[in-house]
Amino acid sequence: MREEIDVTGEVCPRPALMVRDVLEELEPGDELVVNGDYPPAEGNIQRTCEKHGYEVTKGEESEEADGDSFTLQIAVPDEAVGPHMGE
Amino acid sequence: MVGEDLGFSLQESGPKLTEYAELHGCSCKIGQSDLEGLLAQAGLDTDQPELLFGVGEDAAARQLTEDLAVVSTIDYFTPIIDDPRAYGEVAACNAASDAFAKGATENLSFLVVLGLPSELTDEAAPILNGIAETAERVDGVITGGHSVLNPWPIAGAAVNATAPPDELVTTEGATPGDRLYLTKPLGTQPAMGALRVREGEFGDQVSEATHRDITEIGADALEWMRTPNRAAARAFREAPVTAATDITGFGLLGQSQHLAGNARVGIELDHVPVIEGTLPLSDLFGYGLREGESAETSGGLLVAVDADGAGDLEAALEARDVFHREVGRVTEPPQVGLNEPTFEEI
Repeated sequence: MREEIDVTGEVCPRPALMVRDVLEELEPGDELVVNGDYPPAEGNIQRTCEKHGYEVTKGEESEEADGDSFTLQIAVPDEAVGPHMGE
Repeated sequence: MVGEDLGFSLQESGPKLTEYAELHGCSCKIGQSDLEGLLAQAGLDTDQPELLFGVGEDAAARQLTEDLAVVSTIDYFTPIIDDPRAYGEVAACNAASDAFAKGATENLSFLVVLGLPSELTDEAAPILNGIAETAERVDGVITGGHSVLNPWPIAGAAVNATAPPDELVTTEGATPGDRLYLTKPLGTQPAMGALRVREGEFGDQVSEATHRDITEIGADALEWMRTPNRAAARAFREAPVTAATDITGFGLLGQSQHLAGNARVGIELDHVPVIEGTLPLSDLFGYGLREGESAETSGGLLVAVDADGAGDLEAALEARDVFHREVGRVTEPPQVGLNEPTFEEI
């Protein structure tokens, strides 16, 4: 399953918490795409997800010239890979 | 109400200042590498013979007479907390901190910088009261200022302070073998972040993440943020301090890299004091406190001292009731980083 969440206009620490909420509902093998426009949120989401065993890939939006918009693709790993956020 | 016991208002009824800006406190600084690039682009990265030191340091110093130098700096930021008076106190404390980090602790004058959106002009007086209170605590005087309407609230000050030239400290003098001290615990960013989301949809998650009450953590953080670094800086004179800087939006690691780069040394950090309860909040928010990357607002001083004089520095800080912890040491370049640090909750 592929979910998408838009955290545009949200200010830290809300984006990381919103992403965490959605991830907890997903199953191993699912993917979450996060769109946002708040530069520090990108780093915070990436850090908290990677710490909890998720794989994070930056999307093309992150490389665009305006520098603020970002897209992150977060893959939910098999349970053996790392602990889920709720654990 | 609880907020009054904590020393600040939780602003249940008044405007929430922090909602008027998208970045808070020192986290609104532009990135370190962006700043360096900008200075190079503008030709401001060269030596300035008129100054004892300038661009690249926390503050600039100009020698006026044989035994007197004036140190000048400016710092302002968006609200870190909703309470306007507390915001003013922290903003002024943070502005003066750059002068203290250079060892200039006397004759402080503050030129206030204040910008508010039109719907928040009623908050101007309590913000100014907070700035004035901090100025008074450091025997300073408010000499004027500039106020504008601005979409994001901003508050702070341009600060001048004096010192004998030979008592000034830069970031350049650290040498391998020096010991490193920090004069406030870290964790203001997760503490303030938690206050902003303690109610509403994420309230339960945030309060379950840590064993401490969120408002108590916030009150602790605020107390540290409004503690001037003046007493710590005065202790410098009684010890062979070789370099110093204050911990700000770049975090402990960023500020260590800055100091190490200027002094052409390495830094190993192995002990990190943090405000009790902030580590799990940082993990929840992805703030990077464990990595030394969490932004600090009005943080403590990071001080390098010759190993032989470390005891003198500790004694001078203790005599002034200044919190301090040894956090690491200066090494040969180029490595700068945390090395399996122990975290001490304060």
